[in-house]
Amino acid sequence: MNKRIAAILFLALALSAGAFGQKKVDLKIAWWGSQVRHEATIKVIELYQRLNPNVSITYEFAGFDDYWTKMTTMAAGGQLPDVMQQDYSRIAEWQKRGLLEPLDPFVADRTLKLGGVAKPVLDSGTLDKKLYALSLGSNSYCMMLDVDAFKKAGVPLPAQDWTWADLERIAMQLHAKLGIWGVGGGFEVDELAWKANYLGLGQTMYTPDGKALAYKDDKALVDFLHMMLRLVKAGAAPSYQEYLANLGGATGNVQLDAIVTGKSAIEAVWSNQVITVATAAGAGRNFAVVHLPRHKKGGMASNFMKPSMFFSVTSQSKNKAEAAKFIDFWTNDVEANKILNAERGVPVDASVRAALKEIVSPVVKLGFEYIDRVAKDAAPTPPPEPAGHANIRQNVYVPIIREQVFYGVISPEEAAKQLREKAAAILAGK
Amino acid sequence: MRAESRSARLAREACFYLAASLSSLAMIYPILWLAASSLKAPDELWRKVYSLVPERLTWANYTKGWSGFGGIRFEVFYRNSAIYAGLGTLFAVVSSAFVAYGFARIEFRGKGFWFACMLLTLMIPPQIQIIPQYVMFAKIGWVNSYLPLIVPKLFGQAFFVFMFVQFLRGIPRELDEAAAIDGAGRLTVFARILLPLLKPALFTGSIFSLYWTWNEFMTPLIYLNSPRRYTLSMALRSFSDPSGLTDWGAIFAMSFLSLVPIFALFVAFQRYLVQGIATTGLKG
Amino acid sequence: MANVRRRKDEAAGYLFIGPWLFGFLVLTLLPILASLWLSFTDYDILSPPRWAGLKNFGTMFLADPRYWRSAAATLYYAACAVPLRLGVALGVAMLLNKNRRGVAAFRALYYAPSVVGDSIAVAVMWRQIFGGEGLLNSLLRLAGLPGKRLWLADPRFAIWTLILLAAWQFGSAMLIFLAGLKQIPGELYESASIDGAGPARKFLRITLPMLTPIIFFNLVMQMINGLIVFTPALVITDGKPLDTTNFYALYLYRRAFETFQMGYGSAMAWVLMAAVALLSALVFKSSSRWVFYESESA
Repeated sequence: MNKRIAAILFLALALSAGAFGQKKVDLKIAWWGSQVRHEATIKVIELYQRLNPNVSITYEFAGFDDYWTKMTTMAAGGQLPDVMQQDYSRIAEWQKRGLLEPLDPFVADRTLKLGGVAKPVLDSGTLDKKLYALSLGSNSYCMMLDVDAFKKAGVPLPAQDWTWADLERIAMQLHAKLGIWGVGGGFEVDELAWKANYLGLGQTMYTPDGKALAYKDDKALVDFLHMMLRLVKAGAAPSYQEYLANLGGATGNVQLDAIVTGKSAIEAVWSNQVITVATAAGAGRNFAVVHLPRHKKGGMASNFMKPSMFFSVTSQSKNKAEAAKFIDFWTNDVEANKILNAERGVPVDASVRAALKEIVSPVVKLGFEYIDRVAKDAAPTPPPEPAGHANIRQNVYVPIIREQVFYGVISPEEAAKQLREKAAAILAGK
Repeated sequence: MRAESRSARLAREACFYLAASLSSLAMIYPILWLAASSLKAPDELWRKVYSLVPERLTWANYTKGWSGFGGIRFEVFYRNSAIYAGLGTLFAVVSSAFVAYGFARIEFRGKGFWFACMLLTLMIPPQIQIIPQYVMFAKIGWVNSYLPLIVPKLFGQAFFVFMFVQFLRGIPRELDEAAAIDGAGRLTVFARILLPLLKPALFTGSIFSLYWTWNEFMTPLIYLNSPRRYTLSMALRSFSDPSGLTDWGAIFAMSFLSLVPIFALFVAFQRYLVQGIATTGLKG
Repeated sequence: MANVRRRKDEAAGYLFIGPWLFGFLVLTLLPILASLWLSFTDYDILSPPRWAGLKNFGTMFLADPRYWRSAAATLYYAACAVPLRLGVALGVAMLLNKNRRGVAAFRALYYAPSVVGDSIAVAVMWRQIFGGEGLLNSLLRLAGLPGKRLWLADPRFAIWTLILLAAWQFGSAMLIFLAGLKQIPGELYESASIDGAGPARKFLRITLPMLTPIIFFNLVMQMINGLIVFTPALVITDGKPLDTTNFYALYLYRRAFETFQMGYGSAMAWVLMAAVALLSALVFKSSSRWVFYESESA
């Protein structure tokens, strides 16, 4: 019964919309995430449909891995949605093959109003001098600190510009005083061990054209791996084995994160995940957020401002302008962003960010303030990972650096060398 | 049997029941664990993960889980899965039995070749067929619907065909030959004589098919595009994302609920599995 | 007369296998042939395939150590999991085939693990059993052993968590055996009893031979499924550690979808199919020596 009423109302709406000369539009939107994100996104979509009765949106969502399997398949069949969520490490693969639509025409005709978005944010979605994707939130790697554990151990919180040597010393201290790991998981991630270490030297992993490795000296990576091995050996950091067996491993589970369970006092996380980790840890815990360590005090930051994820309009879309209009709403509408609650990272539009900062919870605010600080001295955002990065990451970086080094099969020196050789071969298109 | 003394038999029976009970404990641990976990509060869930006794019972996981997402409650996913598993099983089992009769009982040219082809289709990892299949279904406009999931089941499933063939070959030919002499056509022989004899195999196949379609996630993931059409297994998977906050309690609760129909069907129909064929007593 | 009969058989044969044949030619064959063609190309899914000749096969055999690790892991898994599962399934089926009180309940309980499948909830549960503070280690500690091993992270033992999962989910093979046992005509046992045969002799002379078509079926299917195993490694171990559980199908899926090497993945798939087909052909060939068909004995 209700359904029928709704249908009639909908019909009436559609007709009145038609009377005003508005065309009926169907949009398809797809994203990955977990339930919190699904709920918020669906609410925003419903809000948009209420404000734009001529638009009817169908949507679909899945977990990260399923999402990409599905999108890849749909691309092959020419069935991509109008708007798809994109990932910084994958976008080049999609752009290079002409699957994404440049947004510049829509920016020019002000369908997509980006006046309040900083240039570095736009740059992060720019490939071949065209804007292909708009960041849904600013993000940066950070070190999350368990303030209570630091207090208990009598160790002062590190400064924002602390160094890798400080990290090692503090982790050892925490371990000695509390018997827990000083620093928890997250270290096997390539962004941290590989990319951040070179950003801190003012270098990038890949050359701008994505055809070769840009850094010349393996030393930074090797030193970092040696430090990690020392920490693991001393018991001040969980071993990789520990990560595989107990800290989530394949299934991935924030609730088992070492900092959540109190087994460590420092953990490297993306800033948009601070809220996730804090929520999982439960009420009554106190956290602080600092920069990634640097190579030397007062030196260059290892952090860069990463788009947490993007929205892109696909070239298979039949309603590109309408799709751009939806992205505009997403970026600039305060109500929509209140619903989204910065779960995808700190909003990129300045006025939306200012409005939200007033109302978000203290934990979310930690992320906002952190992004403000990072914005001041971040390393320049490197171009999105080149095509071939996925191959390097999955078939070279993970099996060699992440597995063989931490299982003691090969030395960091040998691993860095192999990584260089194999990555270079892939990038050269061999 | 008669030679055995009463006490020896009693001891033997006692041994059987003891061993069977102990091992079945290990067997149902997962289900008990799932049930227990679905009743734990979130703060307890990951503390003593293996414990089968919740410190305090909560139904919140069920109410939260059932509410689904975006206003789509779990009954929608249940309905979708029930339709898919029900129709899929009916089609797959009936068509497979039909095809199996052809392979098991009729001599014709090319039989060996086609049978080998059928087995070969089982040996290609399904993951590699996803893209070409999708492209094909996209060309005929079937994506975003249940058609690519259900229609293929009308043409027999290789696993079941092979299974039924093996069962048919175990049934003496005299039975159908006698009927053929009485003038019955092949269809009649198949439907009246062999299908009833195949009953245990048909029920076994139905149970497998039900459970496979119920749990399948890759095909629904690829072909179904609106959450309203999601099946249970797909909905359960979209609950979680490694980087996000996952409501595990709700996942466990809904996973447990999703097992109930399949397990209940098994319990309800298992007597047909064991009825055996029309021949007399089966005491070993 | 014989000729007419013959032609009728041809027609009837194709009538009965018709549905399958139609589905095969229209729905299955095309994608399969497409993947065969793709195995000779560079195909990243997102742009059109480019002919690459034998390059994929060359890389696979000569320049990809992970390929051989995944093949070895898969063979090891199948060689351990298949006999284990079949043995347990047959044994339990024999025990539960007796008309005892409560047998129905046990049957249901033993089938329970197979119902839970390999969903995400099962993955979490299985991981916790073998985790550092998991059920297994807790039991070992109760028994006075150290109980400290990280099973899922140990290159020797991680694969065994998956083999045990396979053995534990023996329900479907058990059901097929049960259905097969039910099909054995009771008269055979009765006449054997009259001849004074004991239980052991009845098993060897009647049960086992009569069950061979079903044993054969289970063996072939479990072998195939053991060699194309995918989901358990995906959801429980993620192929780790050190590629010891990076099963063939998982590795080819990752190559195809995660690193956009669908051509390479297709080549892997065809090599796998050839290998499985060869093994199956051997089993089929051997079957004339040990599989006994009631319908063909007369």
